Amino acid sequence: MAEGGGRGDSGDKARDEFFSEAQELIDGLGRDLLAIDEGLRQGRADPELINDVFRGVHTLKGLSGLFGATRMAGLSHELEDVLDDLRLGRTQISSAVLDLLFQAVSLYARLLAAESGDAPDPEHEVEQLLVALGHISHARAGGGSAVVAQYELDPGLLGVLTEYEEHRLRANIQQGLALYRIRVRFSLATIDSALDDLKAQARPHGEIITYLPTGSGANVDAIELEIIMSSRSTLEQLRAAITGPAISIDEIPRRSGPSARAPLVPASTPEAAAHTDFAPAADAPVLGVDHAVADDSMSAGATAAAMAAARSASPQSAHRAPPPRGSQRGPERVEASREMSLRSATQTVRVDIRKLDRLMTIVGELAIVKTAITALADRVRGRSTASREIAIELGRLNRTFERHLAQMQSGILEVRMVPLGQAFDKLARIVRQISREHGKEVNLVVTGADTELDKLIVEELSDPLMHMIRNAIDHGIESRDERLRVGKPPVGTIALNAFQKGNHVVIEVEDDGRGMDHAALVAAAVRRGVVSADEARELTVREVLALVFMPGFTTKEVATDLSGRGVGLDVVKTNIGKLGGVVDIASDVGIGTKMTITLPITLAIIHVLLVEIGAHLFAVPLASVEEAIALDEGLVRTVESREVLTVRGASLPICRLARLFGLAPVERDRRGSFVVIAQVGARRLGFVVDELVGQQDIVIKPLGKSLKAVRGFAGATELGDQRIALVIDVAALIEEVLLPSEVRFLAAPGDHDETGRRQAAAGAAGRRLDRT
Amino acid sequence: MAALIRLRTEKRAARRAGDAGRRVEYLAFGLAGETYAVPIRHVAEILRPPPITPVPRAPSTVLGVISVRGKLVTVVDLRRRFHLAPAPIDRKTRILLADAGTGEQLGLLVDDVQQVWRLAGEEIEPAAVLGGEQAAHIAGIGRPAARDGMMLILLELSPLLDSQ
Amino acid sequence: MRRVLVVEDSVSARAFVRAVLESPDFAGRHGGCEVVEAANGFEALRLLPRGPYDLIVTDINMADINGLELVRFIRASAHHRTTPLVIISSLRGAHDVQRGLALGANAYLAKPFTPEQLDETCTRLLGAAVDRARQSEPPVEGP
Repeated sequence: MAEGGGRGDSGDKARDEFFSEAQELIDGLGRDLLAIDEGLRQGRADPELINDVFRGVHTLKGLSGLFGATRMAGLSHELEDVLDDLRLGRTQISSAVLDLLFQAVSLYARLLAAESGDAPDPEHEVEQLLVALGHISHARAGGGSAVVAQYELDPGLLGVLTEYEEHRLRANIQQGLALYRIRVRFSLATIDSALDDLKAQARPHGEIITYLPTGSGANVDAIELEIIMSSRSTLEQLRAAITGPAISIDEIPRRSGPSARAPLVPASTPEAAAHTDFAPAADAPVLGVDHAVADDSMSAGATAAAMAAARSASPQSAHRAPPPRGSQRGPERVEASREMSLRSATQTVRVDIRKLDRLMTIVGELAIVKTAITALADRVRGRSTASREIAIELGRLNRTFERHLAQMQSGILEVRMVPLGQAFDKLARIVRQISREHGKEVNLVVTGADTELDKLIVEELSDPLMHMIRNAIDHGIESRDERLRVGKPPVGTIALNAFQKGNHVVIEVEDDGRGMDHAALVAAAVRRGVVSADEARELTVREVLALVFMPGFTTKEVATDLSGRGVGLDVVKTNIGKLGGVVDIASDVGIGTKMTITLPITLAIIHVLLVEIGAHLFAVPLASVEEAIALDEGLVRTVESREVLTVRGASLPICRLARLFGLAPVERDRRGSFVVIAQVGARRLGFVVDELVGQQDIVIKPLGKSLKAVRGFAGATELGDQRIALVIDVAALIEEVLLPSEVRFLAAPGDHDETGRRQAAAGAAGRRLDRT
Repeated sequence: MAALIRLRTEKRAARRAGDAGRRVEYLAFGLAGETYAVPIRHVAEILRPPPITPVPRAPSTVLGVISVRGKLVTVVDLRRRFHLAPAPIDRKTRILLADAGTGEQLGLLVDDVQQVWRLAGEEIEPAAVLGGEQAAHIAGIGRPAARDGMMLILLELSPLLDSQ
Repeated sequence: MRRVLVVEDSVSARAFVRAVLESPDFAGRHGGCEVVEAANGFEALRLLPRGPYDLIVTDINMADINGLELVRFIRASAHHRTTPLVIISSLRGAHDVQRGLALGANAYLAKPFTPEQLDETCTRLLGAAVDRARQSEPPVEGP
């Protein structure tokens, strides 16, 4: 798309819409393919689903062309051919074909990401897929209008069917279905619901081909439609099923006699046109596609002729008895109670999440206004009796305001919440793909897909979850033979469970595979120099399992795809950490492995403890705070160049934030400091701060991309009069402060002398005690 | 190199603009006694500096963050960026909200904001090759015909804002 | 001020057309441009009586009431018999285009089309309409 001048905001908006719509189309394709897969497993093929996939690809093709996504358009072009063949029965749907379609969907996603510059271009894979697709699609057979000719369809009708609709008509006819014409009249005001009702009534009986608006348009309140439908049901059955005022249904009869002439299809070929009543107009539209404009005069003539022909040729089918149907009655059409769970038929609105952010910001600003009003009420109160009354009234109004504000706040937060099922759907596809790749049979069982999380979190979760599942299939689930040998069912199971626990959401990925071999892990760690053999002996079960989260760690010698290269789990841990969550792992050899992700429900509003450090305000998320105590400098010791505080007999490492942040110490005239004891997962750290200011609910906002490299802050928040408090990323700081010493302990064999090692071991023991 | 190519096209555009009677508008501001200018279409807003909250461990050129109608904006000290001596904020100091091209808006702290100059193509000359770090950010020198002896150091924003 | 009715079931395609027609460039040349959007044939039918429109742009391949049926309906209506009408087809839509032109559309655009092509086609059709309107006006006499 050429960047012309002056299209500015509208153009950007259009492009944003493109990404949003394309993503939705791709998601829809994925769901449809899963439904087709499910159907295949149960031995049936649903033509309407295939039609929907075709339609989705068709729309994607048009859009990507418009917005210059040429590779997507090219892929769509090929897919369209294959899907067309499937639709029309030239190719049979099979597992192999479905695999290619699944591949196409994931390539679409990657291509879209490449378009927005978020990912590299998967050029090579696209080429490969195009080749594979090319082998499947057959040459397009043209024509076939002879089949349509068997029915008494009025020529005007055929002239207004798109090629697509004509295909569907033909396909239905070829299957021996009957055609019906439903005449209805709807009031324009209620047409939406009336239409939905009609569709719901009609769907179990067949397929609606098209809707024709009839009438002159003179009536501005109502519209008359002719609906053409194909069905295996009888006329009586249809009349019973589709009811409503101003509805009449008739069958479109077949022409009698084998010599039935082809009805009028305007200008598909010049010769056909010549034989028809349409002739006068036929000349006009026989333009090569190079002609960009038809003259006004020509089109006027064509219109008149078209209308004349339509009027003269319409069959009076209402008065003719339906002729005996020549086609055989096929097997009863499988009822259309489709997998509604996989397809969203809900009333939803697609919302740009930035709009929600904007709303949250406004809520935050209203909160500041509310505080100001409270202060104002206080000032007014003291002045006089009259003003005291005003102040009371003001206070009452303010409290109402506060209540409504709180409701609005939670309302907006609710809007941001989306069900985890969104991320889980994609995973179902991946499981299928990976299990086929590895030749293993794996069943994915999902519970709690309707557990809700902030949309941003859900989006960030797909990658980590994918890695975890890949890992489970690759390393965890054994091959079919091996499983049978140890007495397990041949098909492995991966369970995805999600549930809410207090202020958090827990997601478990559990497999019934071979579990993690303690000894193999330790051996690999020693081999990689992560631990020395001696240290390895001292590791707890938990520490051993945690080894898999170290960068570059893998027990498989041969790198298989992503898992083998060990890219998976340490990245998973980091990414989950960025979301404010933690990953834990439990495993039993021969039984299985379970990874547990714990996440805060929402990023947007959090309860924090406001603290002062070096004359600046900071916010510590209360979810990570165990308690806050006054600091008794006398109880601080230094162990291995780390300061440690004794709290109720146990050791707690502390970190003086003023020093860490490089903030100038403030003259504190002998006032004591405080320690905020923070805990994330199994680790605890005490943050030394100057003052505890108070607890508050805040709206957390991200720091700009320019500050991405700064560690230790999850964002910032505004607290009235333009004061800003940075929000501390507790998990990141804990890792920054504590990890070096842990790694030193685990990863530097030979550095410690005997006493050092004993001390360090004692330290570790001390830490283990703390974990109760 | 990229800056030069861009300048060449901009110059061609400016020349064409000059021919057609149209000029490019530059916003001039002061920094340690010199006058700099950036194309005004890059400047979304000019603000009096609100309290700036420092961000610990951020690069030294970052003064901190401010809130602009609820949005957090990172503020960069151009003096520090150009290795000039830092100066205290006074009543003439301003923050320019500039579109960084990455989609993010950054705040540029400047000593004062002067006026908008509409420069025609022939009033702009590309930068000679200077040594030192300034080179990439200098798009050229502007000499408005309307004021004899006036010299504007024209800045290229993207390299300025990219590398911290 | 020109009023254009755009009938298209894809949100982003509608946004694309709107962006071109509302751009200062295009709108400037036509004394302003108001874009009215319809997401499907039914909405178009609802919006048609709220005309007049100087131009109608419609996609062909829409679900339920397709663009061809809409063209036929529009050309049969009293108020929009002569309104300039552009149909949008997909790349392999030669048949659809022929049918659309046969039914009375004035021009077509095949996806993918560029903003420039859209601009040019609409400008040409709007210009032709103005000419026709001017021709039908009585000559003005007077000082």
